[in-house]
Amino acid sequence: MVVTGRAVLLAFLATCAVAISGQIGGTVTYVAVGLVVLLVVLDVALATSPRLMRLSREGDTSLRLGDSASVSVLVSNPTGRRLRGSVRDAWPPSSHSAPKAQPLRVDAGERRRVTTTLTPTRRGDARSAGVTVRSIGPLGLAGRQRTLRSLWVVRTLPPFHSRRHLPGKLSRLRELEGRHTAMVRGQGSEFDSLRDYVPGDDVRSIDWRATARNDGVVVRTWRPERDRRILIVLDTGRTSAGRVGDTPRLDHAMDAALLLTALAGKAGDRVDFMAYDRAVRAQVRASGKGSQVHRVVEAMAPLEAELVESDPAGLVGTVLSQGRSRRLVVLLTDLNATALEEGLLPRLPLLSSHHLLLVAGIKDPKVEEMATERGSADALYRAASAERTMSERHRISAELRRMGAEVVDADPERIAPALADAYINLKAQGRL
Amino acid sequence: MTATAPAAPEATTREGRPLPEHDSGLRRLWRSVRVPAALFSALLLVGVLLSLGGEQFPSGHLEPDSPQPGGARAFARLLGQDSDVTVARDSASAARAVERAGEDTVLLVFLDHRLLPEEVDTLAELATDTVLVQPSLRSLEAFAPGTDVTGRADDGDSLEPECALPAAASAGSAEVAGELYSADEGVVAQGCYPSDGGSALIRADSPHGGTTTVVGTGTFLSNRDLDADGNAALALNLASAENVVWLRPDVPEEAGGSDIVDLLPAGLLWSVVPLALTLLLLALWRGRRMGALVHESLPVVVRASETTEGRAGLYRSRNARDRVVAALRNGFLERSVPKLGLNADSEPRTVVATLASRTGDDPRHLEQLLYPGPNDPYVADDGAMLGLGEALDELTRKLR
Repeated sequence: MVVTGRAVLLAFLATCAVAISGQIGGTVTYVAVGLVVLLVVLDVALATSPRLMRLSREGDTSLRLGDSASVSVLVSNPTGRRLRGSVRDAWPPSSHSAPKAQPLRVDAGERRRVTTTLTPTRRGDARSAGVTVRSIGPLGLAGRQRTLRSLWVVRTLPPFHSRRHLPGKLSRLRELEGRHTAMVRGQGSEFDSLRDYVPGDDVRSIDWRATARNDGVVVRTWRPERDRRILIVLDTGRTSAGRVGDTPRLDHAMDAALLLTALAGKAGDRVDFMAYDRAVRAQVRASGKGSQVHRVVEAMAPLEAELVESDPAGLVGTVLSQGRSRRLVVLLTDLNATALEEGLLPRLPLLSSHHLLLVAGIKDPKVEEMATERGSADALYRAASAERTMSERHRISAELRRMGAEVVDADPERIAPALADAYINLKAQGRL
Repeated sequence: MTATAPAAPEATTREGRPLPEHDSGLRRLWRSVRVPAALFSALLLVGVLLSLGGEQFPSGHLEPDSPQPGGARAFARLLGQDSDVTVARDSASAARAVERAGEDTVLLVFLDHRLLPEEVDTLAELATDTVLVQPSLRSLEAFAPGTDVTGRADDGDSLEPECALPAAASAGSAEVAGELYSADEGVVAQGCYPSDGGSALIRADSPHGGTTTVVGTGTFLSNRDLDADGNAALALNLASAENVVWLRPDVPEEAGGSDIVDLLPAGLLWSVVPLALTLLLLALWRGRRMGALVHESLPVVVRASETTEGRAGLYRSRNARDRVVAALRNGFLERSVPKLGLNADSEPRTVVATLASRTGDDPRHLEQLLYPGPNDPYVADDGAMLGLGEALDELTRKLR
């Protein structure tokens, strides 16, 4: 049951009437209170039952973090009477749905569309909590309300801020393939095609045999190997929950992984994706040609850091069980000395014998800032502690490199382009 | 604890000779008791002194117990030397006192406007000698019919008696100026202290017996003015009798009436019921939310630098300067050694020598700074530790 401001006003008028009634106050009180209660009960009884409304949904199912999505509820009224009142489509607070409640009027046998705009501030799946329909009686004094279920899920995808680095990295990649406008000879060892000589081409790449067969001068182009396999592994263990700047490590890692996926897709490599802590949290397998970015983004969206210690032994086992063909394994994790020394290092030779490992870690600029603090004993204690952290990071990186793994260690702003550069360099060296 | 701690060093005399055992026991008792005892007696003394000055005297105009300038304690004491003074606070007790006292009685009436008309009549019927001080017209009518207020002189002016009344004539001039009275024609009355418009003092026979003396002001009886002029003499003469009944009525108490609920209109009381209904509906209107609150499970997020900061706190709490110094040196070497074209496996001596040739610093000083051996001068105190930090920063700047 609900009452409106009009009912309150009516009761207030009744109060005024009793107040000025004088000696017949008792009688007037019974009449006034009885009248107000009667009218309110009557209105509740006469209101169209909100329970009988039928709901259906349409609208967006996914959006990028920072964008807005609109979701509609279609309220249809199968009864023979008009429904008048308001409706609220409830979403979790971080979805920032607007408007919170809106007026509703559905005539008998008709249908109304109620649209709510969501502007989520958090990655992941937002589930609609329920649609509350409030029906007010013909007198406008009171009514009934009921919360109806109508499930809808809107998936908020990671923002992919590092997309802005993509054109620059693609241009480097094209340079590598010899398709760059600067007309330099493509690096790599795989024969690509023959094409007409353009002034500026390296004369050493002229294919004399083909030139003899043709009218003009023909050059050979070379390109890097294609169809290499890359496995991106996202560590979702406890260390990924750490907040660097305003964002958890996990989200920075996702950003870097997305740039690498997009780049490798363009370079013609096949990208697999896996999220792992003590079990596989998400997995995307490469399927034919084309960009994997959309499928990886979808898989990433609901991932959250788990408060468990990651299990590198299980990780190595899972990677090895996915096929013996050589691939580049990109592990996005924290360069945490204790965790890596105990877990990953002993199993690294086994992994390296089959695959090439690239470990990417995200540095905390706060720690580097702490290391430069001076001026008081307190500041120096903090600086020393930061030095110790940095030194351990340094040591574990050196250890990993010594055992044949590649290491990328960069700030949150730099990690995505740094990882892309490392990939391009490996490709240029033909190490994939 | 407090008793034994100071006793230990004082148990010997200045020369260091130990005191006998029983003496030290008594002393110890005295020493433990004296401070609380002194405090307690000081508090007691202060309390007694405060209570001495705290006696409460009644106050008010011509109040017989009031020592204030406007009171009449001095006059009451003077009267009490020769007469038996009874102070009455209402007309009934005054009437009883007069009846008990007998023949030679004077009734002094102050502030009679506080009396009801019936009470005034009852007092007038007592048939005793009465002195009215600045009476109301109603009292004047009852005690001395035929006299009237006919004028007013400046309060407190000195007037001459100019009449044969012995009480006034013997007292001489007095500051009795105030309301002035005259008697109607055919009324036997004696007027004294005349001024423009009448006499400040008038004596007439009461219709019920006895005489009535009316004085136009009471200020000459107050503590402030009693000693001036012939005020005291006049006052004592007027009240000279064996028994004096001093009537100074208290402010009459309010009685009866009705409380606020009786005075409200009936409708207003009844309106509480619909008002409660209104409030209930108001609460329902504003308080009813559209659907339940939606909860959201948020992931746990901590600052990544938390462990580093925690370790800094540990270093600080244990003053682990050796760790600090080692970490700072290690960090410096990790950054600088590759710049010198050396690697982590290089000998300390090589590092010091290269560093000295690059920066021009004293090699011995550099060795002390970077590889001090077992006797490290930089862990001695915080100042030395800060010095190491600055020295390493300086070296880093030189290498840049």
